[in-house]
Amino acid sequence: MSASASNWLYGAVQHRRNRGLGGLYVVVAAFLVLYAALFPGILSIGGFSKFTQNWFPLALVTMAQALLMLNGGITLAIGPLVSLGAVIAATTMGGAFGVPGGLLAVSIAGIAIGAITGVVVAHLRLPAIIVTLAGSFIIGGAALILLPRPGGFVPDWLSNALAGHTPIAFVVLVVIVGHWKLFLATPLGLGIYAAGDNPLGAFRSGVPIERVKIVSFALSGLLAALAGLFVAAQTGSGDPVIGTPFTLNSIAAAVLGGVGFIGGKGTMRGAICGSLLLSVMINVMFFLGFPPVAQYVAQGLIIVGAVAVPELLAQWRAGR
Amino acid sequence: MSIVRTVFRNPPLLTFLLVALVWIVASLTLRGFGAYGHLRYLLELAAVIGIAAAGQTLVILMGGIDLSVGAVITVTAILVPLISPAWDPTGLAGVGLALLIAVGIGLLNGAGATYLRVPPIIMTLAMATFLQGLLVIVAGGSAVTVQNPAVILLGQARPLGVPAGVLLWIVVSAVVLLLIHRMPIGARFLALGANPLAARLSGVSITRNTLVLYALSGFFAGLAGILLLGMNRQGYVGIGDPYLLTSIAAVVLGGTSILGGRGTYAGTIPGAILLVTTTALITVVNASPGWRSIMFGTLILALLLISGREARR
Repeated sequence: MSASASNWLYGAVQHRRNRGLGGLYVVVAAFLVLYAALFPGILSIGGFSKFTQNWFPLALVTMAQALLMLNGGITLAIGPLVSLGAVIAATTMGGAFGVPGGLLAVSIAGIAIGAITGVVVAHLRLPAIIVTLAGSFIIGGAALILLPRPGGFVPDWLSNALAGHTPIAFVVLVVIVGHWKLFLATPLGLGIYAAGDNPLGAFRSGVPIERVKIVSFALSGLLAALAGLFVAAQTGSGDPVIGTPFTLNSIAAAVLGGVGFIGGKGTMRGAICGSLLLSVMINVMFFLGFPPVAQYVAQGLIIVGAVAVPELLAQWRAGR
Repeated sequence: MSIVRTVFRNPPLLTFLLVALVWIVASLTLRGFGAYGHLRYLLELAAVIGIAAAGQTLVILMGGIDLSVGAVITVTAILVPLISPAWDPTGLAGVGLALLIAVGIGLLNGAGATYLRVPPIIMTLAMATFLQGLLVIVAGGSAVTVQNPAVILLGQARPLGVPAGVLLWIVVSAVVLLLIHRMPIGARFLALGANPLAARLSGVSITRNTLVLYALSGFFAGLAGILLLGMNRQGYVGIGDPYLLTSIAAVVLGGTSILGGRGTYAGTIPGAILLVTTTALITVVNASPGWRSIMFGTLILALLLISGREARR
């Protein structure tokens, strides 16, 4: 009896979360078909690898952003974190500990910075948007100090492995998403949704709200820093400002994927679909020869359209 | 003891006292900081932030946010030299036209936020992205020099030794403070920020007030852009970018809640001055750009700890 009741509850919650995702899947599929029709090269292994490599960092930062938005927060420090990750990777991988040392350094930096941000937000009760805004200056400054101009060293084999002609990046992404699924099954992972949806209710049900917030900031920092490591491998060097566009794009992709600003609204699969959609659109515009400025114009229109159309449809349906 | 408590309960006063403290300490320790010319220059810089933050304060009070402030500043700073007609010797036509465009952009933001139900943060972000692309297409990406006499007068004139920009800021401050605290429309804004549902049920039109608010925000950003152009004499793509973050920071430093419904422009005024002073102090310390950025972020965070904390829930 209680099992079926909880199943029913679970089904209802899942149904609510999945609402609107169907349309998104259709749009993403349509764009992918269009893309494949325009550039059949994507259907080869090499083409698929290149495509997923362009998508990979955006997918990671979107996860980093969505994680916080689901918890009712937001971060404006994604871009600088990506830059810092790239810079740390490029400066440590030539050192005594090589690639493992670099990976460790990037991960630790990401987790530590995220956790500190989380502590400031959760325990000092400052709004996340402002803390991450101030944090973006600090993180960006640290990246500039570590590596004032583009340079550093990333071993060729790593670049070839991550950004070569094999779809390793895609496999890594699948593994990361799998881990997210596992994490969601833990009480802490569930707490991210609970605390985002209804902080007071979650607190009264025994969810350690502060700890959940700190953990979600730490994980978000880790994902963003790892995206930076990938970008460094992709470009073969570190650049202290390379991450700048990722801040806005991560928010745009998460919102395209149906993640709301209020917390608890949306899903990670939606956010990942949103990042795929944004990535495909950017790629298509690039290949069609749009000048970069026209891409800005189109991106602005697309983001508004993507958010407005489902809202208007829902309104129209409710009005009938 | 009770005086201390009153001060801490009153963010605008607290921020004002912080500014006074920083100015006094800096004047005593740094040579040239306390000179009249330098302080006047700081106020002139703060005027641009303060005017841009006027619109931002109104929008944040209503629970929204305007991320297109920087883009609108850039738009007006670039468009004024381009659209000022040659037949107009005063240059007011160009200024009026540019302000009209700024208001139009704000109205579009408001329309997106109300009619299309796009969250303001996304709507204004998309607008900023859109404008950024459009500007490069329209203006070609090169810097333009201003010939418009009205703009130059605003940027350079010093009646009675007070920069015209600061005078403009005083006028803007008076208008905004009256609007928020002495006019029905200000009460409506605050009500919408505190509890949109209750406000709507009490007969406050969300649609109309949102449109008015974002139009006002566009107007003040445009005004800041024109003042900046007058001070700089040149407009270029990216000129307004630094003002997005500083306008939000000034509002929050002044004790206005980012969640809306609580706060006043009286706090934003010392907030803007505090930001400019902080930047000036960092420039005095001879450090690399990286360290300067770190110091700026840390100082803002530290100032926030004093004045920007959300109440314990």
